[in-house]
Amino acid sequence: MSAALELKGVVKSYGKIRALDGLDLTIPAGAIFGLVGSNGAGKTTAMAVVAGLLRPAAGRVSLFGEGPFAAERHAGRVSLLPQDSRFPPHARVADLLRFYGQLQGLGAGDLENSIGGLLDWVHLTDRRLSPVKTLSHGMNRRLAIAQAFLGSPELVLLDEPLNGLDPVEAARVRDMIRQRRGLQSVVISSHNLADIEALCDTVAFIEKGRLVRQDALEVITQQCHRLTYVLSPGTVIPLQSLAESFPGVTWEPAAGKAEITATFPGRYTTEELNGRVLRLFLEAGLGILEIRRGSDLETEYLRLHATPPPLQGR
Amino acid sequence: MNSALRTVSLVARHELSDSVRSRRVLVLVLLYLAGSIAATAVFISVLQKIEVQLVSSLGLASAGKTGSVTATLWKSDAFREILTHLIGNRPLAESLLAIPPLALFYGWLSFAFAPLLVMLTSSTRVSEEIWSGSARFVLFRIPRLHWIFGKFAGQALQLLGALLLSAAGAWLTGLVRMHSFEPLATAYAMLLFSAKAWLYALAFLGLATAISQLCAGPNLAVAFGFLALIAMAIVSGISEHFAGDGWRRILDVVNALTPEAHRLDLWWGDSAHFVPAIVFLVTLSVLYMLAGYARFARRNL
Repeated sequence: MSAALELKGVVKSYGKIRALDGLDLTIPAGAIFGLVGSNGAGKTTAMAVVAGLLRPAAGRVSLFGEGPFAAERHAGRVSLLPQDSRFPPHARVADLLRFYGQLQGLGAGDLENSIGGLLDWVHLTDRRLSPVKTLSHGMNRRLAIAQAFLGSPELVLLDEPLNGLDPVEAARVRDMIRQRRGLQSVVISSHNLADIEALCDTVAFIEKGRLVRQDALEVITQQCHRLTYVLSPGTVIPLQSLAESFPGVTWEPAAGKAEITATFPGRYTTEELNGRVLRLFLEAGLGILEIRRGSDLETEYLRLHATPPPLQGR
Repeated sequence: MNSALRTVSLVARHELSDSVRSRRVLVLVLLYLAGSIAATAVFISVLQKIEVQLVSSLGLASAGKTGSVTATLWKSDAFREILTHLIGNRPLAESLLAIPPLALFYGWLSFAFAPLLVMLTSSTRVSEEIWSGSARFVLFRIPRLHWIFGKFAGQALQLLGALLLSAAGAWLTGLVRMHSFEPLATAYAMLLFSAKAWLYALAFLGLATAISQLCAGPNLAVAFGFLALIAMAIVSGISEHFAGDGWRRILDVVNALTPEAHRLDLWWGDSAHFVPAIVFLVTLSVLYMLAGYARFARRNL
């Protein structure tokens, strides 16, 4: 798969602070890509560098294999939802989108269709003639999301897109972003790991301006070789029996809980191991409350934070 | 090239509509209009008082109409001779005497206050968008230079509107308050002065746009705008005063780089004088703006 975006050794400093310290990233075309990192990790800076709003001190940025952002070349093909930016307060919602679309070079017919569809998508159709200053914070955010998708750009950069949205709107926007998979490359930066997990197929962890890990979500969360069993409270887990019955499988009981995690890299298929473990538990008369496949992004992210991160790697 | 022009005109149109919707700009333009009307009314009152005093001092029969004595004086050969000697330049005196007095006053008013209006309304326009972050929604869609030229063009149109509005206000005040009033000649002269004041103020608009590109926030931009206005007047005054032969010739060049140095040429009626001044002013305007852009082009947003 070709890369929509490539960053190699990108450095960006604010005075003495290095926001990006040799950042490497490769974002496949058509992917929904998650950027995860703590505050000040460099996610927002990375997006602004890609969109040409910040100039890197060193390193290489390449969009669609054509070099760094240049408005003449990339206008309408790359878009950005900036994190803390406000629209001009006096402009009307539809006028603003029309203005942005015209700047991108969209034709009148396409533009009106696109504006109508996007306003409908973000539930702002009834506010199309309202001045921006009359919109709530959440509505402003939805308008910002709409402008990012105007004209279906090939690469969409979304910095904390679901911040400030109510649960219904957040679910709606998540749904629509999911539908873009394969059609557009979407990069999402968020502190909300559940959002990243729900949306992205590839995830990168960034810390102190460097890439710590980049992988497919299912690899990071070990979807293919990790099962967790939650048993009835007070159950004594037959650890010895499990270890003897399943050689090569690592069993990790949770402290203070009737819960055990099996890690089985390559030895069994998920279905095979699950069937045998369940049979063993049932024969032993244990009550099974829940089975979880893989880990979750938050656990993996926290696990990464608990140990010193490797310098680079994918 | 066509695409660049199209982009610049789109930004200019949006800038104009956004600017006139802003309460701050609206208030400033209305204040400028009110100031123009008030100053014209004061001018007419002063004129009336002088005429009354003249009539009583010289023992003339009262004309009863404001402006009629001035109009007579304006047309008298003796007065023309006196003014020519005072100015020391017959063609310029003839050129000024061909203009109705109210239009002359309006010209002075516009040259004096249009730069101030520019600094108040325009120096915030780029810095405000950088400060609020709204520029970020635009600058991944078009080149920065197109955006700056568009903002400049939108502000230039707004300035022209404000000057024409103030001319209309002054003209209407004259029509109502002056009994000896030449509506067509005054309107024509005022229009001409509006255009000249606009071109003169364009240089200040270039300066305001440059400052706006360099400042982190709108308040800072206005403060620096004022400082630049004062600095320009000081530089122009000093360089004009001390210019001379030898190394002092450089002061002529310095003076030529200030808009003030070209203002006097705009008072002339013949194009041989005011056209070069206009060319200079427009060039200065673009130069100032591009000086700001040299930094803005590399600025982090």
